[in-house]
Amino acid sequence: MATLVYVEEPGDLTQQTLALARSLGGPLYAFTAGDTVAVSGVEMVHHADADAFRSYAPAALARALVELVEAHKPAAVVAAGTPRGNEVLARVAAIKDLPFAANCTAFESGRPGSVTRTRWGGSLLEEARVHAETLLLTVQPHSVQGEPASGEPAPVEHFSPSLRDEDLVVTVRERVGSSAGGVTLADAKVVVSCGRGAGSPEGFGIIEELAGLLGGAVGCSRAVTMAGWRPHTDQVGQTGTKIAPDVYIACGISGATQHMAGCKGAKTILAINTDPEAPILASADYAVIGDLHEVVPAISAELRKERTG
Amino acid sequence: MKVLVCVKRVPMTGGKIVLTEDSRAIETKHLGFTISPHEECGVEEAVRLVEAHGGESVVLTLGPPEAEEQLRDAMALGADRAIHLVTDEDEWDAQATAGAIVDAVRADEAATGAYDLVIFGNESADSGGYQVGIRVAYALGRPVATGLKGVTAEGTTVRCEQEAAGGRDVYVLPLPAVVTVLEGLNLPRYPSVPSKLRAQKKPVDASSPARPESRLELLRLVVPESQGKEAEILGHGPDAAPAVVEVLRLSGVA
Amino acid sequence: MLVVAIAVAGALFARRTLFLTRLVRAGKPTLRASDLAARARNEATIVLGQRKLLQRVGPGLMHAFIFWGFLVLFPTIFMASAAIVDREAWLPERSPLLWLEEQGWYALLVDLFAVLVLAGVAAAFWIRKVQRPRRFEGSHLGEADLILALIAGIVASLLLWHATLIALGLNPWPAGWSPVSDALSGLFADDTQTEVLERVFVWAHVLLILTFLAYLPHSKHLHIGTAAFNVFFSRTRARGRLEPLDFGVEDEGSMRFGAGTAADLTWKQMLDAMSCTECGRCQDACPAFATGKVLSPKLLVMGIRDQLFADGPALLSGAELTPLVPAAVTDEVVWDCVTCGACVEVCPVSIEHVDHIVDLRRSLVMVDSNPPAELETMLRDVERNANPWGKPQTERASWADGLGVRILEPGDPAPEVLYWVGCAASFDERARTSAISTTKLLLAAGLDVAILGPRESCTGDPARRAGNEYVFQSFAQTNVETLNEAGVTKIVASCPHCFNTLANEYPDFGGRYEVLHHSELLAELVRDGRISPAGGKETITYHDSCYLARHNDVLAAPRELVERIGRPLEMARSGKKTFCCGAGGAHMWMEERGTPINEERAREAADTGAGTLAVACPFCTVMLDDGVRQTGGGLRVADVSTLLLESVERA
Repeated sequence: MATLVYVEEPGDLTQQTLALARSLGGPLYAFTAGDTVAVSGVEMVHHADADAFRSYAPAALARALVELVEAHKPAAVVAAGTPRGNEVLARVAAIKDLPFAANCTAFESGRPGSVTRTRWGGSLLEEARVHAETLLLTVQPHSVQGEPASGEPAPVEHFSPSLRDEDLVVTVRERVGSSAGGVTLADAKVVVSCGRGAGSPEGFGIIEELAGLLGGAVGCSRAVTMAGWRPHTDQVGQTGTKIAPDVYIACGISGATQHMAGCKGAKTILAINTDPEAPILASADYAVIGDLHEVVPAISAELRKERTG
Repeated sequence: MKVLVCVKRVPMTGGKIVLTEDSRAIETKHLGFTISPHEECGVEEAVRLVEAHGGESVVLTLGPPEAEEQLRDAMALGADRAIHLVTDEDEWDAQATAGAIVDAVRADEAATGAYDLVIFGNESADSGGYQVGIRVAYALGRPVATGLKGVTAEGTTVRCEQEAAGGRDVYVLPLPAVVTVLEGLNLPRYPSVPSKLRAQKKPVDASSPARPESRLELLRLVVPESQGKEAEILGHGPDAAPAVVEVLRLSGVA
Repeated sequence: MLVVAIAVAGALFARRTLFLTRLVRAGKPTLRASDLAARARNEATIVLGQRKLLQRVGPGLMHAFIFWGFLVLFPTIFMASAAIVDREAWLPERSPLLWLEEQGWYALLVDLFAVLVLAGVAAAFWIRKVQRPRRFEGSHLGEADLILALIAGIVASLLLWHATLIALGLNPWPAGWSPVSDALSGLFADDTQTEVLERVFVWAHVLLILTFLAYLPHSKHLHIGTAAFNVFFSRTRARGRLEPLDFGVEDEGSMRFGAGTAADLTWKQMLDAMSCTECGRCQDACPAFATGKVLSPKLLVMGIRDQLFADGPALLSGAELTPLVPAAVTDEVVWDCVTCGACVEVCPVSIEHVDHIVDLRRSLVMVDSNPPAELETMLRDVERNANPWGKPQTERASWADGLGVRILEPGDPAPEVLYWVGCAASFDERARTSAISTTKLLLAAGLDVAILGPRESCTGDPARRAGNEYVFQSFAQTNVETLNEAGVTKIVASCPHCFNTLANEYPDFGGRYEVLHHSELLAELVRDGRISPAGGKETITYHDSCYLARHNDVLAAPRELVERIGRPLEMARSGKKTFCCGAGGAHMWMEERGTPINEERAREAADTGAGTLAVACPFCTVMLDDGVRQTGGGLRVADVSTLLLESVERA
């Protein structure tokens, strides 16, 4: 039984999605639209051609996907558990009145199919049975290793889905600049924070550098704002900003209760501290024991090396 | 304008998650409950839209009898009345939830007139299904935009903004429409005590829909092994840099 | 002419007094009728004995002379008035006033106190014009000068009048008993010129008194009339207790909570405002003012008073009033307060500043729903997670893992003592040490002690001090229910804030328990020999927590412990005069402007030269530990329970 994979764009997430989709057994086919055409590691690419796909048009994408599902009757449709992957598959589910399991870390085909999916943003796993003729699944990002992209791109079969007026309503009309102007502490995916260990306002240079490389925001502890080194808007904590980034890098921060109350929403906490007994280690997922003035520049250097190499 | 906002009662987790004995739910004996955060912003948005344009804001939930607490909280923020689809303790899957909401919306619209806008959270904090709002929109035959951080009513349309790399994607939907929103859309107000007291007296229309078979059937919950573990030491000093970058890569930020 | 003067002055006085009385009668109710014995005692010591004023010897004596002089010289007002009407036959025969006037001892007292009053006035001018202490900043100085001049004039004219009487031989008392007047009489001959002067002085005296009378209720010296009442109606016990609000309101109009406008003030608060003498002792004692915050308790009360008087006519006619914030005081002022109560403690006329602050906060938070951003976060966390840091309630007892302390489940037998841990000692890394130490000590002493674990929640104190009485009451009700159901009779609390709430505030919600602070229980166990610490040579300075020392008179027990484990050294400000750590009044969860209070206190502790700074409060632990780190003091900050445990382990 075949599996159809919705490929938004090439990249690591697509490779992860393909890897997990392969665990269902059976051949893989890809569904693409717009600029995304070349996919390797699948039998064939079904590429939807329509003016609607010049910008993101989730309703139209879903309609095209439904057309493929009805034509080819795959056992499963799989996408990456990104906002768009989840949205398009949920629309397919709504149109076909099928169950949809978002953000899975494992699945098995069959009737019923079995999935393991994440809840609470990954803090909890759910094992569930899916009672459906077609499984609709998305893959929790970074829950599996992506298979290396190799080989020639698969042959492409173009098709023109028959879209209805209502499918063309929901489409991105324009992209406007972010009103916030840069990454805000509250919204940042990565926050790099430093305590008094920075030594001086200038000591934040290495912190800013790392945050910049990661496209993240700079945070700091209360002691730093009290010392007047950074504005209060940068303060992470109970009395500052409460943050919920994917990764929080806390450099030279001991982990006072008032600080931890502000970063408990972080998915992953990485602490860099000279003191292996610092309270923050009780809450951190990862730690580097060492002087932030040495460790932070080394991380930045390593990131640069990876990107250029 | 007439706005409906759908909310879900969820426990406040944060520490190590403890499960009930049958592993089918979170042990909530000592936990507080709240409106799922995206939806709290949804309530605030509904109230602001009605404050700006006039009309009525209604809050709906499907949940156990205790979920009335969240309906009262929403009404303390300013929602005018509430619809409570009362369930027993067992969780409903997304399809069943959407079905019951659609029935309730149709019944309420037949009695009080159509909603211009129905607001959902993009996904619930607990089950994270990413679909109830979309299902309801398709069943009602209304357009839906998701994951929004900006919602502006402009006459017969609603302008929707969604965060994207380097800016915001803009959708313009004709009303009536459905939107699903994200935390950060606004800052929900801190309700005053008079508004909390008033909320105690606002009407709640309660009914108990029948629960269909789950098609996404929860078997059991599992706490991932990584939970509650000591921090993993990646190394000492600058030599740890490659391991750090690997962690950043796995977390999807590098 | 005298009648006209009296009528004019009397009318001015009566009109104002009537206005003030009507205002006070329009004040919101507050119960101040119980404890008559304590009230009489306060009246005797604080008013008659000038106890609070005499805490500062110089200015205290200055005021006491004038005040006592006022009491002693009071009958002379009537004597002089009578003398104006008829010099020869002043009063009906056998009038007690006439009798008194003939007494030599009274003449001596009059002379003595007249001189003391003049000395007092001179001292007052000296303090105001030469010393110029900071506490007078913002006070009405010109008004005070005028009043002092009036007093001096009244007393001087009295003495001069008496001197002329002696010179004319008209004195009813034996001249020898009044040495000052007698000596002054040497300035006057027994002639018609003196007769004229005698008329001038007695008229001057009486007119000055009438001027004083008419001016008095229009000035800050209104306290002469109100202070005695204000002291009488002041709190007689449990200064840490706040008055509960009633939320069982039905109509929209009564949905006013706290003090939004002058109309929301209680009559005691109005009396407070009218009693302020602008002396600034509160300002001197205030930790917020001392560290450069906007708040001055004196200016706060003056602001409320000015607003009350300005809005008074509107208030009495039921018209719309101006909100107190920001018209009377700014938002910043209201939030600067740490509710340490130092101002209340020193106020000579028993003004209750903290109640004003909390009522202003109540209105800002509950009616305007406008708390400072950081407090909004804290309040949401308390409401949702039952603790002010938003920590998961399931982890409340994780500090106790492996200690073997019983966690009380529903239906379990009640323990001898319930240990109320509090949120700080449950969740904060630094404060947890004291919970662990206390538990180990209580278990070692063989006490049947238990904790509530995840069934314990915030007492509601931070929400209450932040102005959210509504949230506080919901926690009070839940906790009282839990405690009563568990059959708890005796509680030991680690946190002075919890302690204060459990002991003084929960009785209002049906929770009556014997509540001890852990320092009290541990001191008792040491006294009974159930805990045996080894003495030590370590120098220890003990920091009094406001909610222990000032609000609840717990001073001795922690000192008893410190003495048993090391060498105590006192800080300059200790006991009931303690200086706040900066965390009270919900400031644990707020950002601070200006010099941090905790750093000021940490420096003071370091000045003692002690090696250890002992504390008995988890907030003080965190604040002062931070303060020591920021100022580089090198002191070790530790809870008395931790120091005691170490000492026991050494033994």
